[in-house]
Amino acid sequence: MASRRSDAADRLAGLGMPSEREEIWRYLDLDFDPAFASAPSAPGDAGAPDSVIDGWEGTVVTIVDGFVTTPGVSTVAEVGEELTMVNDEHLFATAFTAYAPGAALIAGDLLADHVLIDVQVTSSATTFPGVHVDVASGSDATVIVRLRSTTDAPATVVPTITATVGDNARLTLTIIQDWNYQTRSIGRGVVELGRDASLTLSEIGLGAKLGRLHLDVNFLGDGSTAKVYGAYFGEESQTLDYRYFMNHIGMHTRSDMFLKGAVADDALSVFTGMIRIEKSGQKTEAFQTNRNLILSSGASAQSVPNLEILANDVKCGHGSTVGPLDKDQRYYLMSRGLTSERADRLQVRGFFEEVVEQIPDKAIAAWARERINGKYVSAQEEGRV
Amino acid sequence: MSNALEVRDLKASIGDLEILRGLDLTVPFGEVHALMGPNGSGKSTLSHVLMGKTDYTVSGSASIDGVDIMGMTVDERARAGLFETFQYPTNVPGVTLDDLTAEMAASNPSDNGYEERTAAASTRLNMDRFRGRAVNIGLSGGEKKRSEMYLLGVANPKIAILDEIDSGLDIDAVREVADMVESLRSSELGIVVITHYNRILKYMSADRIHVMVGGRIVKSGGAEIAEELEAKGYTEYQVAAVG
Ligand SMILES: Nc1ncnc2c1ncn2[C@@H]1O[C@H](COP(=O)(O)OP(=O)(O)OP(=O)(O)O)[C@@H](O)[C@H]1O
Ligand SMILES: [Mg+2]
Repeated sequence: MASRRSDAADRLAGLGMPSEREEIWRYLDLDFDPAFASAPSAPGDAGAPDSVIDGWEGTVVTIVDGFVTTPGVSTVAEVGEELTMVNDEHLFATAFTAYAPGAALIAGDLLADHVLIDVQVTSSATTFPGVHVDVASGSDATVIVRLRSTTDAPATVVPTITATVGDNARLTLTIIQDWNYQTRSIGRGVVELGRDASLTLSEIGLGAKLGRLHLDVNFLGDGSTAKVYGAYFGEESQTLDYRYFMNHIGMHTRSDMFLKGAVADDALSVFTGMIRIEKSGQKTEAFQTNRNLILSSGASAQSVPNLEILANDVKCGHGSTVGPLDKDQRYYLMSRGLTSERADRLQVRGFFEEVVEQIPDKAIAAWARERINGKYVSAQEEGRV
Repeated sequence: MSNALEVRDLKASIGDLEILRGLDLTVPFGEVHALMGPNGSGKSTLSHVLMGKTDYTVSGSASIDGVDIMGMTVDERARAGLFETFQYPTNVPGVTLDDLTAEMAASNPSDNGYEERTAAASTRLNMDRFRGRAVNIGLSGGEKKRSEMYLLGVANPKIAILDEIDSGLDIDAVREVADMVESLRSSELGIVVITHYNRILKYMSADRIHVMVGGRIVKSGGAEIAEELEAKGYTEYQVAAVG
């Protein structure tokens, strides 16, 4: 353990900022100094609970500036284990291994009730919050990871969320990225699925100056399945970047990816989707869809779905669209008496509703619906779209 | 007294293509008119041009209940009392019929009758089970037409243009739609039924039938016109229109 950490620290000295010329960092502006050395040695003052947390009826685990502050919640290191699921060798992953105070271990009895993990950043230094969810075979878990800034600090954060879902187990995971617009977040997620395990993952992308989420779902066990939903809304000069890899290794596995986003002002969204089916992954069915609305002339979306299929008996599909609001829908709705503003608001709401209605927790879905549509309404009222 | 709809010398083109070429049409309140004509004669274009769709270059005049609508936006025309049921109703993903009718009511705050009309139209057309579904998505051809008739009932217009509301319907459904049209008949509404089929006209009584060819109304008259068209087709009018 200590050696993994010190090895990483050693390697870090030789690593520079990744280059945007590498495919994995394409489209991202990495012209900033992450200043890892200034990582805080203790958490800042926790922020006040907000409406999501106030309304939450299950367990709450709080992580502030990378430190688990909820009594009774251990880190992976404290129980003598190592987190080895992220094997990236770039600067941010290496820095996480070297500096992260320890990933919160969300397992066992803690998962008896639904868990909301309130990941707060207060510091403008680079911080490394980690969450590891371990869903035992045959059990059910619901986890919400809420990533938020509780100050205006222009932070850099490397949130790392890993999960193992045992045989016949189910994980419902919701990730809400709600950083302030000065924060850069280089997020990483890895989920491993056992035999007949299932994952429902929903991500709501609201905040960050730069919000990257690089997710691997590894279908190790035969019969494992995942539904992956995403809704994101970028504005001002935000960059929201999703790099979602579905790695089918077991037989009879299934993945459905469905991400919808909108960009306004000068915002950029990036979706890089990959369905990779190994030779062993026969009878796999895998689908990915990414739809993007461009709401302002300065905004743009990159949508790059990929397939890498080594097995021969599989079903795959992918679709991707980038375009403005639909004129026919606007005309139809206006012909029913709606002003063009109302018609567009309804169209945007409907666009996201196809994803938002899939968020399993209805209170969180209602909150997400209000936040996303609120962004559009504000942009419309301010004449930005 | 003013008419539900009055159209004078209406012309519409897209690029170099002239689609409406000087069309006149008057529909008094309380009457049901049928508009027939060959494919491509401009029937749907007429209804979209009246609705204010922006794809066309337009000249001429049109008024609803004496109010000139030509300078109005699409939604202003709708609120002025025009309702078009679409030949090809548009899918609106993620938006339920209930969402749409709620927005229709919110868009027209001076009219407080929406709630009552929504309930009444829903019962009359048996729409309860469709109201929570996304607008037009996954509906059969007949269900889409029913949904359009439902929205017409909710909107309570002064002039309704029903573009091929009977196309793609089974025999019973055609009769049902004809009954609906008859039940809508009132002294506060004019109705134009665009159709290719005599069948629907047998179940309702059209006060007047207009024949449209090449972007103009070339003949208007009573029920006998439909019979005549069924026997002879449009050939004589097409020759006349070209000549
Ligand atoms: N957007 C458009 N671009 C180019 N041509 C168009 C467009 N809209 C209509 N047209 C042309 O105008 C003519 C009239 O079309 P319209 O749809 O009004 O006919 P219609 O009488 O409703 O026919 P149908 O009975 O088949 O429904 C057709 O030749 C059509 O191809
Ligand atoms: Mg037509």
